Amino acid sequence: MAQWNDYHHEDEDVDGEERDESGVDYKSTGRDSLVFLVDASKEMFIMGEDEEPSPFDMTMQCVRSVYTSKIISSDKDLVALVFYGTEQSKNPRNSFKHVYIYHDLDLPGARRVQDVDGLRGEKGAQVAGETMGSGNTNLGEALWCCSNLYSDIKLRLSHKRLMIFTCRDTPHGGDSERDRQARTKASDLKETGVVIDLMHLMKPGGFDVSLFFCDVVSPPEDEAELGLQMEPCGKLEDLQKRVRAKEMKKRSVARLNLCLGEGMNVAVGVYITALQARKPNAIKLYRDNNEPVRTKTRLYHTQTGSLLLPSDTKRVQVYAGRQIVMEKDEVDVIKKFSDPGLELIGFKPMERLKLHHHLRSAVFIYPEEEMVTGVWSACVNVFALCKYTRIRNSPPRFLALVPQKEEVDDGQAQIAAPGFHGIFLPYADDIRTLDTPQLPTASESQVDKMKEIVHKLRFKYRSDAFENPVLQQHYRNLEALALDLMAPEHIEDLTMPNVNMIDQRLGSLAQEFRDLVYPADYNPEGKTAPKRKPAEAAGGTEKKPKVEMSEDELRGHVQKGNLGKLTVPVLKDACKQFGVKVTGTKKQELIDALTAQLTK
Amino acid sequence: SPPDSFKSEGKEIKMARSAKTALVLCLDVGFSMSNSAPGQEPPFQQAKKVIQKFVQRQVFAENKDELGLVLFGSDNTKNNLAKDDQYQNISVHRQLMIPNFELLEEIQNDVHPGSQQADWLDALVVCMDLLQNETLGKKYERLNIVMLTDLNTPSSPDQLDIIIGNLKRAGITLQFFLPFPVDGGGSNPPHGGKALSREQQQGLEMTKQVMMSLDEEDGLEEVYTFSDAIEKLSVFKRVEKRPMAWPCTLTIGSSLAIKIVGYKAVCEERPRKSWSVVDAQTHQKDDIKRDVVYCLNDDEETEVQKDDTIQGYRYGSDIVPFSKVDQDQMKYKTDGKSFAVLGFTKQSMINRHQFVGTQVLKVFAPKDDEHAGVALSGLIRALDDLKMVAVVRYVYARNGNPQLGAAFPCIKEKYECLVYIQLPFMEDLRQYSFPSLENNKKYTPSEDQLSAVDSLIDSMMLVEEDKDGVKKDLFKVNHIPNPQYQRLFQCLHHRAVNPSAPLPPMDPWLTTALQRPLAVATRCQAPLEILKKKFPLKEVVKKKELKTSKELFGNSCLGTGRSNQIYLYSPSYITMQVKA
Repeated sequence: MAQWNDYHHEDEDVDGEERDESGVDYKSTGRDSLVFLVDASKEMFIMGEDEEPSPFDMTMQCVRSVYTSKIISSDKDLVALVFYGTEQSKNPRNSFKHVYIYHDLDLPGARRVQDVDGLRGEKGAQVAGETMGSGNTNLGEALWCCSNLYSDIKLRLSHKRLMIFTCRDTPHGGDSERDRQARTKASDLKETGVVIDLMHLMKPGGFDVSLFFCDVVSPPEDEAELGLQMEPCGKLEDLQKRVRAKEMKKRSVARLNLCLGEGMNVAVGVYITALQARKPNAIKLYRDNNEPVRTKTRLYHTQTGSLLLPSDTKRVQVYAGRQIVMEKDEVDVIKKFSDPGLELIGFKPMERLKLHHHLRSAVFIYPEEEMVTGVWSACVNVFALCKYTRIRNSPPRFLALVPQKEEVDDGQAQIAAPGFHGIFLPYADDIRTLDTPQLPTASESQVDKMKEIVHKLRFKYRSDAFENPVLQQHYRNLEALALDLMAPEHIEDLTMPNVNMIDQRLGSLAQEFRDLVYPADYNPEGKTAPKRKPAEAAGGTEKKPKVEMSEDELRGHVQKGNLGKLTVPVLKDACKQFGVKVTGTKKQELIDALTAQLTK
Repeated sequence: SPPDSFKSEGKEIKMARSAKTALVLCLDVGFSMSNSAPGQEPPFQQAKKVIQKFVQRQVFAENKDELGLVLFGSDNTKNNLAKDDQYQNISVHRQLMIPNFELLEEIQNDVHPGSQQADWLDALVVCMDLLQNETLGKKYERLNIVMLTDLNTPSSPDQLDIIIGNLKRAGITLQFFLPFPVDGGGSNPPHGGKALSREQQQGLEMTKQVMMSLDEEDGLEEVYTFSDAIEKLSVFKRVEKRPMAWPCTLTIGSSLAIKIVGYKAVCEERPRKSWSVVDAQTHQKDDIKRDVVYCLNDDEETEVQKDDTIQGYRYGSDIVPFSKVDQDQMKYKTDGKSFAVLGFTKQSMINRHQFVGTQVLKVFAPKDDEHAGVALSGLIRALDDLKMVAVVRYVYARNGNPQLGAAFPCIKEKYECLVYIQLPFMEDLRQYSFPSLENNKKYTPSEDQLSAVDSLIDSMMLVEEDKDGVKKDLFKVNHIPNPQYQRLFQCLHHRAVNPSAPLPPMDPWLTTALQRPLAVATRCQAPLEILKKKFPLKEVVKKKELKTSKELFGNSCLGTGRSNQIYLYSPSYITMQVKA
């Protein structure tokens, strides 16, 4: 995402450590995997009332959105799509009847997204009928087949989940032998660490989990979790919400001790619940075969040409013309204040937490021990102030731990999790002094007119309602290229104001407000001060000729120590002119480089 | 209140770009400065510390302020006014110059207490002469003399009026640093210190007279004690950045526009300089070259030229070649800066824990545009009354990525503005659900436990009311300087003047500033003990976690040079993992 910084070149030395806040390390924890096991019986293809999509159609839309969201936000996760209750069978050696592996356990890609698209809607139902058909159901065989999917994977899997999508609460129609077999296979799977969820869909007469599925699915993480009491999903939106809540393994960034006082350490989990998704970095491919190439970075000595180990280097900063040298590990250890953990400083009334105390996305902190739960329960109108050290050698930050109570929606799905939000608080250095303008304030009638305008343009904000148009466009482009589409799919940019709608709703209000606040000759869109126009716009006015500085002049500046008086472009030109290599573009870096060169 | 800075550092940021200060430090090194009560640091040592801390600050700030150093009571005499027996034992140690590490070293190694005494008024005259001669024909925003003395020499007050007149004429300001407070001295010293001598009492009277004549109202506020100054100057002051104005137009539909200017108000401040890598032997940057090579994923690791590579992206399992040119053509584009209202929503609909981005903007009307001021005020007040916010599309500049954000109304005594903070996109959110903490059969805290926690919270409240009902915050995070940079500058300074010594321990004041305030720590002892008894404690350390952190941190200890051999193997070890 664009930061203010991007334009000021201030942000080049962002500590790598801080960026990796997402903290998910696949190297050490293995891959997440998810198998969609979808009922393909005839019942799944029955359209709902009022043109509601069929359960099968809804499931395919869900699978598609999981595929695309995995590609965007967790592109290392493995996903599979398997149908049961089919006429046809497709699995290794076709040893399992009525089980159709549509997609093996693998990374989802463009082709797979397209495949799933092909199964959507009326046409999709037709395709499904032709390729797989609906036949006998043997859930036991299907589960067995899925367990093979997991065991065939050579990668280390950290989290294994299987979601069953069905609208039939008695899949074997009372065949107790098949029921028993399915239960056995399910418990085998669960024993190998697979979590089985049921995404049950609306069925006329209601879906009775207790008839069969209660013995198949995994017990909830916690006895209080309401997993099984949930109503079946009748709407796509509900299903998507439910799938989304389950599909991603919650992974803690850290499990830390919260220190309440000396010798009183209690465990908490630290999670990231909002993190800006960014366009991934480009990778380099070999031109001849489009295969990724590996990059190796080497350090070598300019004079001798020999390779250098990091221990052959040191770190320097230059202040007032003096080079200050440190070892690499000294630079690291300077950042160390205390061991990783949270240290309770005390409590403050809630009103002491100011709106503008914001530096970066908050973390979520979940109590793992009773004492923290106790503190959580007792925090009423107060927040806890803590010192937070994320990892070794990370300097401390202060967090306001704001308690959040659990909230569930009508469908018993959790919309607010119980725990603390950890809000990062700014230090003195992070708050800037601003020169606030002294301006007249609005009169009551002016304010009232604006209230009418605000009233006309009210809407209900939902945090998950806006997609990032930059990311969406990027992935649509890639999708189009991968699938050889003529043009990428159109994206709807929800960040654009709907100007027509706004104008229409406001009617004459905008003019009325303008009449109240602006004099007749005032143009709020005009320029306040004549701005320098770019050369082209000004009708080809000549570029200001560059004034080259003589070396003596420059040396003079260096000696007097007043290079700082020169502007950045002039300094840059001077660097070019004297062949000074600069790594950064900050003014100070330019000055240091010039000084170093000319005092040699 | 003690000084947060010497006058060289402008308190206002609206200073003109070329503004600089000329400042003369005038340090009394006379023999009485070495006298102190047993167990107390002599005034000379304190004054020297004040100077060191200040110069160090100036060096790291790298501004254009110039500094001179005059010693009086010194064994030698070196100044322009010295003639016959006049202006003796006053030595101009350093002319006006931009301070550097050499000056710091000189202060550390060459400035010692002398065995003479000199009249501080004479020294003041030498400083004035120095300032006037060396600033002649040049522009300075401020001329300032800093006098550090114990006032323990007899002074002749007959010249006082002439000196005051000259100070005023030349526009020179004065600051005094004394071993004792300006108001608490007299014959009854407050802290059991030594009573002031007759000379000191007389000197103090003259000091007051000078300061009051320069500034009748606030003159005495520029007289400080050494100890307060050391404490305040220990904090490396950040270099003020000039706030960058972001002029734009707030739009509501196509027919309502308000001119605005945005400023970054809160943002994680980073140091101006970064570390660069040099050769360990020569300390030269140019002796090292970083070289990136590309190789195929085959057994031979065949190297290929950069020109033979193209750009691509992963799309799940697919690798899609996507050239820069194509990408630029196909990417999402914005046509210019924007602060466009999409609509308005209740403030309660916006969750502050979902704020994203790394900054807070404050949005004002342009300072010379009162019509825009009125219009924006109308919006701010309407939103404030209705408890609503504007949801806006924000684009910094042409082809910048669009953001979605909330503009909150903010009404202060002195100004009104909108506070803009970025909101998440759908892709940024992780919807995790967690086991319930209430209605939890496994564990619900008992009444007994809850009341123990309640009394702990009461004992640990950091905001308290004093006798007059004024609320006092004992731990203001936004008043603590970022400890990372304090420590960094402490180490940089130490290493600069002691290149071969190990890094110093952390400054005690910094450690204290990051801890639970003593009063609270004492108060909460008993409630903590009770809490300990009410809750069974278990130290949960899972094996798995330990292993993970070891894997994570494993290679960071390799750079210490303790084991080069392991290091040699580690890069391929890392690539192997990536490959897998």
